[in-house]
Amino acid sequence: MHGQPEPVITNEEFLKFREYFYRKTGIYFEESKRYFVDKRILERMAKTGVDSFHAYFMNLRFEASGRELQTLINAMTVNETYFFREDYQFRCMVRSMLPELTAYRAAKRPIKIWSIPSSSGEEPYSIAIWLLEYWPQVDEWDIEIVASDIDTKILDLAREGRYGTRSLQNLPPNLLRKYFKPVGNQEHQIIEDLRGSVEFTQVNLSDRATTRQYRGFDIIFCRNLLIYFDDISRREAAEVFFGALNPGGFICLGHSESMSRISSLFTVRKFPEAIVYQKPL
Amino acid sequence: MALIKKTVSAPPEEHRHSARDLSGLLEQLRSDKPDIRRWAALDLSEHSEAAEILCRCLEEEQNMAVRDALFTSLIRINNNAAVKGLIPLLKSEDAALRNGVIEALRQMPDALAPYMQDMLHDPDSDVRIFTVNVLESLCHPMTPEWLLGVIEEDTHINVCATAVDLLAEVGSPEMIASIDALPGRFANDPFLRFAADIAIRRIRGANPN
Amino acid sequence: MKQILVIDDAATVRLYVRQVLEAEGFYVDEATNGLEGLEKALSHHFDLVLCDVNMPVMDGYTTVTKFRQERTLAHIPIVMISTEAKKKDANRAFAAGANDYLVKPVNPDKLILEVRMLTGEG
Repeated sequence: MHGQPEPVITNEEFLKFREYFYRKTGIYFEESKRYFVDKRILERMAKTGVDSFHAYFMNLRFEASGRELQTLINAMTVNETYFFREDYQFRCMVRSMLPELTAYRAAKRPIKIWSIPSSSGEEPYSIAIWLLEYWPQVDEWDIEIVASDIDTKILDLAREGRYGTRSLQNLPPNLLRKYFKPVGNQEHQIIEDLRGSVEFTQVNLSDRATTRQYRGFDIIFCRNLLIYFDDISRREAAEVFFGALNPGGFICLGHSESMSRISSLFTVRKFPEAIVYQKPL
Repeated sequence: MALIKKTVSAPPEEHRHSARDLSGLLEQLRSDKPDIRRWAALDLSEHSEAAEILCRCLEEEQNMAVRDALFTSLIRINNNAAVKGLIPLLKSEDAALRNGVIEALRQMPDALAPYMQDMLHDPDSDVRIFTVNVLESLCHPMTPEWLLGVIEEDTHINVCATAVDLLAEVGSPEMIASIDALPGRFANDPFLRFAADIAIRRIRGANPN
Repeated sequence: MKQILVIDDAATVRLYVRQVLEAEGFYVDEATNGLEGLEKALSHHFDLVLCDVNMPVMDGYTTVTKFRQERTLAHIPIVMISTEAKKKDANRAFAAGANDYLVKPVNPDKLILEVRMLTGEG
């Protein structure tokens, strides 16, 4: 007896999928990614027990919960965090956003920065290091950094601040020496001073009772999170950020993410270092 | 060091005097301060009985952030009253409002389905185009059939053009004959021919046999 | 080579405009709604924008207004292309700052002529 022929994805099917995936996520696959994309789709087809692309695509397109789409997005993206990831945005923070935010600020109100998701802490600590190292006015202002995540276990890890070589590979060696101490097992721990400067909190973005307390922020980093949300959750998250920001405050999304998939509440701002979004003044 | 740590807590103005129960929120929805209206609109997502009022506010609200919040809550409420209140707004002169309605309806497939036939047969071709726009992302299994009905029957070229564009994504092989016949109904308009050919190619690509 | 940005949520429309204009020697890029178009225009030079009216997230009128408010984009000619054929719709487009208003479906020869005229190519 012959087995079923191996399912394949035709060129037109790839084009159809690419168009749909781009519309939903903003991620566009070049021809060169064809092999990678086909492989992931075929894996999901096998896992969901579907043997034709047409059937799989119809399920993806019409599933009201959007669960399979979320699973597929996870399979198509690498979600890892490390120090100084996407550092062009940190450069934008110290060279463009902070100078603009502080230019006409009369009272010495503290500058508030929110990092969500904090994950194991690489992002908020990177922000702190960038401010201390590369923002000349850092000593003239009080700066509060709040880092939030839904996962309390990962928040414990973030507070502890111990990292292996993988997390630290992008960090210049002098900064590693300055802000970390070796703790054995090829790990380094963030120095006490820096750990004490970031407030870690548990936040579920869809819990309005909690999120309403987050107000008065000047910059929000929310990178590579909303892409994993369904449409309504993404929209509600944008509302949370709008409420949390001061007028004129900025929000930074991940490099493949765009507010143009989510909401027109914010103004697009093009700085030399990055495109970011701004709450209208 | 200039970095300081503060505990997150509710800002003093947050301890509001007015309650967040239904009647308190409805009162705040009439405030002359946009910020208060916006928070009230968002908080009303927990009161499904407010759908009708939220829809009525959409018609008058000129502040874009408040309008956005009204839509967000209506999408969350997602009931018959929300759909019923939103559909008439497709006739609005305000393009931003209309597009907000289209986006909201896309996320309410089950509540919307009973109204679909009426919407697809609205005498105003603009409303029919907007209805097809809703189908673009509607997660409802009837979508391909609704679109097929449009390209077989609708007499307006732009309603059909909008529908055939979507059939490239969700059409199936038995629809190819109808898609192929579509440009003939409109004097073989070059764009419609192009759109039909693309749709047929995409559908065939999905089924090499 | 003149650079054209086509903003439309319908994939077929974008593909059609691309084919028609590329055959005439234009470079074409695409965006699926007004905000995405604005983002693209802020990071890449365009000589002309073709913009649909009804789109998610940011509609065509708002998009044109935003282009006109943005210092680096204010001078770019914009043609709105809509399904709405009423005179008031065209008037609204001009009031927002559009250079011209075409009604769908657009005849390919007419489109080429329009694009040539507004980009000074012909």
